[in-house]
Amino acid sequence: MATESAESLTTSKPIAKPVAVIDIGTSSIRMAIAEIDQTGGVRTLETLSQAVSLGKDTFTRGSIQKSTIEDCVRVLKSYGNVLQQYEIERDDQIRVIATSAVREAENQLAFLDRIFIATGIQVEPLDEAEVNRITYMGIQPFLKADPELDAAKTVVTEIGGGSTELLLVQGDQVLFSQTYRLGSLRLRETLEAFRAPGMKLREIMQSQIDRIVEQIVQQLRHEESIQMIALGGDVRFAASQLIPDWESEDLGRLPIAALQRFTDKMLDLSADVLVQRYHLSFPDAETLGPALLAYARLAQALKLEDILITNVNLRDGMLNEMTARGVGSEEFNNQVVRSTLELGRKFQFDETHATHVAELCRTLFRQLQDEHQLERRFELILYNGALLHEVGMFLASDSYHKHSMYMIQNSELFGLSERDLLLVSLVARYHRRASPKPSHQGYATLDRNSRVAVSKMAAILRIADALDHSRSQRISEVECLHEDGKLVISVPHVDDLSLEQLAMKQNGTLFDEIYGMPVLLRRQAPTSE
Amino acid sequence: MIDTASKYLNRELSWLEFNQRVLDEARDESIPLLERLKFLAITSSNLDEFFMVRVGGLQMLSEQGDTKTDPAGLTPDQQLERISNRTHQMTVDQYTCLLAELDSGLQAAGINRVDPADLSRRQMQFLESLFDDELHSVLTPMAVATGEDFPLLFNRTLNVCVQLKSVSGGDEQPRFAVIPFGRSANRFITLPSDGGYDYILLEEVVGMFVERFFPGEPVVECVPFRITRNADLSVREDQASDLLAQMVEALDARRVGDCVRLEISDRVTSDMRAFLQATLDVTDESVYAVRGPLDLSAFFQLTNLQGFDELKYQPWPPKPPATIDPALSMFEVISSDDVLLYHPYDSFDPVVRLIEEAADDPDVLAIKQTLYRTTKNSPVVKALMKAAQNGKYVSVIVELKARFDEEQNIEQAKALEKAGGQVIYGVRGLKTHSKICVIVRREPQGIQRYVHLGTGNYNESTARLYSDASYMSCDEELGADAISFFNAVTGFSQPQRLRKLEAAPIGLREKLLEMIETETQRKRQGQNAAIMAKFNSLVDSKIIDALYEASQAGVPIQLNVRGICCLRPSVPGLSDNIEVISIIDRFLEHSRIFYFFHGGDELVFISSADWMPRNLDRRVELLIPIENRSCADRLITILELYFSDTVKARRLLADGSYEPVQSKRSQAPVRSQETLYRQTLETVKQADQSRGTMFEPHHAPSSQN
Repeated sequence: MATESAESLTTSKPIAKPVAVIDIGTSSIRMAIAEIDQTGGVRTLETLSQAVSLGKDTFTRGSIQKSTIEDCVRVLKSYGNVLQQYEIERDDQIRVIATSAVREAENQLAFLDRIFIATGIQVEPLDEAEVNRITYMGIQPFLKADPELDAAKTVVTEIGGGSTELLLVQGDQVLFSQTYRLGSLRLRETLEAFRAPGMKLREIMQSQIDRIVEQIVQQLRHEESIQMIALGGDVRFAASQLIPDWESEDLGRLPIAALQRFTDKMLDLSADVLVQRYHLSFPDAETLGPALLAYARLAQALKLEDILITNVNLRDGMLNEMTARGVGSEEFNNQVVRSTLELGRKFQFDETHATHVAELCRTLFRQLQDEHQLERRFELILYNGALLHEVGMFLASDSYHKHSMYMIQNSELFGLSERDLLLVSLVARYHRRASPKPSHQGYATLDRNSRVAVSKMAAILRIADALDHSRSQRISEVECLHEDGKLVISVPHVDDLSLEQLAMKQNGTLFDEIYGMPVLLRRQAPTSE
Repeated sequence: MIDTASKYLNRELSWLEFNQRVLDEARDESIPLLERLKFLAITSSNLDEFFMVRVGGLQMLSEQGDTKTDPAGLTPDQQLERISNRTHQMTVDQYTCLLAELDSGLQAAGINRVDPADLSRRQMQFLESLFDDELHSVLTPMAVATGEDFPLLFNRTLNVCVQLKSVSGGDEQPRFAVIPFGRSANRFITLPSDGGYDYILLEEVVGMFVERFFPGEPVVECVPFRITRNADLSVREDQASDLLAQMVEALDARRVGDCVRLEISDRVTSDMRAFLQATLDVTDESVYAVRGPLDLSAFFQLTNLQGFDELKYQPWPPKPPATIDPALSMFEVISSDDVLLYHPYDSFDPVVRLIEEAADDPDVLAIKQTLYRTTKNSPVVKALMKAAQNGKYVSVIVELKARFDEEQNIEQAKALEKAGGQVIYGVRGLKTHSKICVIVRREPQGIQRYVHLGTGNYNESTARLYSDASYMSCDEELGADAISFFNAVTGFSQPQRLRKLEAAPIGLREKLLEMIETETQRKRQGQNAAIMAKFNSLVDSKIIDALYEASQAGVPIQLNVRGICCLRPSVPGLSDNIEVISIIDRFLEHSRIFYFFHGGDELVFISSADWMPRNLDRRVELLIPIENRSCADRLITILELYFSDTVKARRLLADGSYEPVQSKRSQAPVRSQETLYRQTLETVKQADQSRGTMFEPHHAPSSQN
């Protein structure tokens, strides 16, 4: 009956899952509480923020003061109270991240431990690349929704307290991503060291900004007709003052001339006045002027007449990531791969070979799942390692695998954290010559699981590399079989495998060492002729 | 008359004009007698508060030598002088009202204040035994020789002062004693009578038998008096962390405040008057010698007499709102459409029901609400306690600075905390005046927030007497704003950008100014423009200036301001297009409704805020857009109705005085409150009828006739 079905409707388990993201930033700790529905839609329920002076501590003293740590504990405890209201308790419902102020603090570990002891909260410090990746996750829905933006090349940038994140995006592709040590708080703190008079101070600030802006412009010099989307609280504040009818869920268009005038006005006001007049928090008031100046200088240097403003922030990106469409999705992986290819091209790698080996690695990784038992995300690591395994050739062919390693390690790849990047570089390094040894640089710093994973991946890469030893991409299909404790790779459509078999003899030893299985290459008999 | 030199009217004098309008009701012969007595009592308790807070404050300024002028150009001393003149006249009028106008009517109706000289023998015997058995032991005279040993007298309580003849008969100084009545003393003593209601006042009885307190000492004089103390609570919150403890201290401190007014019977001799003035440190202007009973606010008690219904208004009980189906839960009702209630015509019960249902609903996760002035045994507080006991997250902002209800509020707060609720004692430096409740409920499609936003307090008894608007909605953005608001006020977060609401002290004034300026701009560009607003007080000079500018641009502005109005209307070149009316009737006008034509988009808001600096700068207030068209239209109709009132409306003139709004000859008089009541009845009737036809029961064939 009707009442019955109504009953079952109300008692059925809620479809939407409540989640929370806490972002420990340079001047505040922010929390977003949201619901994720089955289609991956995110509905933000609450946003909270409280001021803390983490950035001030880290960027002036190098470490976080005890009193600031206790402030953070207090804030996180009060957020815990709000989480309880929504019955958000499970680990998969909460992400707590920290950005540059925590990441760069000398006492990072002490900070993380104290927070954990006092609140039970595990804070993940994010490195620059992850911040970029997450920002991209947040901005993506906007790009998709606007066909004009989707077609153009867009610089997405956030000038934070400690650093500036910059992405160059076209459609759903990230063409370029980089983090710069330009931050409003960092600026402010370095300036205070100068103790210069007001006007002079501004000059110094501008020249500091321009130095980095120049770097950015250099890197973007080939790009024409670009747009800029600016993220961040400071520029949002400017937009709210300058674009009266800006609907916060849309992109706002802010003319640079207006931004410049507004920036001048803000720089003339003391933090006290800003707090009083605009109801800003003190930490926000202190960084407003420098941040706006940096946006304005960057936009000017890129010869833009206006910039786009959005309300999207790191928390939105995190929330998107927590949806089913998040990390590990096809789309995301493609982004990472694109960025890797970009790096490879920079070092003039053999793209056809690299891509082919990477594809073979993927096939092998999937077929050998029972043997290696690695998580899905390692497939992406392996794939990228395979793509870049030869970039070291750019420098010299001697020991090029070692060049590959440090070249990768010192690059930025979109979507890969520092740790992931190390894994990628090690996979590339071990694609030839010595087997991994605990004494090896980089490898030594890994935990056991990661060490094992690197060995397993490198072993697969060696096999894949052997399979394209001809560099003709003639082997693209393989079938892995087990026979008497041996791994038999059966190859169809190829008559003569002697070149590859020779290569396998050399390259297969690591696989044997790690998996305890010799590798045998065999021609697959045609099924019918 | 009020000064006309300035652009602004003085707020104190404007307030006194408001009290005068209440007094005018007490003198209106068309109103039932006990209701007139009630209006008289209101004027008296209003004046008490005025002396405690406003006069007290001004006296402090005056003593500090402050000569800064108010917007109307008056120094504190000048203001005090004018206030004194006005209040002395008002006091005379109050007693004329009681003695010459009300007493005889009440007597004729059987309510009889008996003079000691007219007591019957039976009544005399009764009083004698009452005095001996009870009063003699309850009351304690205290001998006073000098100012130093003068007893600590409670603010606003009655005392008698007794002068005793010295026994030795020499040239000694007269001896004085004071008998304080305390707070619990019953002022009205019911006498045995043959019919009707005979009563005598306590001070008369004490006067009759006062010599029994002083055996052997002849009483020369026995005179009742009453003091009003300065109650300006300058609560210095930033210097004390524990607000609650500090507040309790402030309550005690109030008792020892300076005496700002001495009321005394005009029978007093100059000796005794001089003695009291000296010991209480009261100037001549602060002495109010009255020729009738002191403390007319006490007569409230009399207006509640059982029986005598013909001396009271016909009851206009609140009606269950027609838009709310009692068979549905409030969650279902609100989900289907936004609800607007206009109290006291619409019953407040649905609001209480919403909170009560939330307390029991297993899917409700949290209830957050503000409590400003509540009643003892408030069902709202009970529901909140129950919700807390049921494991829901209950967060309540209890405002301890609600002027004279602090003790009540502290009690409620403690009870709630005990039940497991989280109680926040307001915001440092700000008074939380907004009325908001948000309920977080988990529903199949996700979290749903239900909000109640109002202009009145969560107080079911004032909701029967005050005109207020209630708005209930599950609008996504209002819900998000409500949560952000609580997070900000309870210190969980810095204020976040609100999507629909505006909150004082952050953006409310700016929003109002912006709305007024938009009308001005539109008018200047040749579009239509109009402003209508109803609230309790208009003091803020920035807003007044914006209204003047709008008027000069040609925007027609209609203001319905119950109390203080510092705007001077109808001044050529300044405020030609501004009309200000004030309505005083049986229900206290308390709702704040703002209307802006906005190029035809007609924006309607309700708010907790009056247009005073106090509300806009030092209080947490809310401005709520009513976007639901039918709710907005209803509010517009209500606003317009008030401006058509020709019975209870008075129009403010440029000199600060008020005149009755006359109905045009051809038109029937309009009494807005009555019209609202009739309309509500009509709506309820129609709804009942339509429900009746929908759910017509099956009758047996025989019962059809």
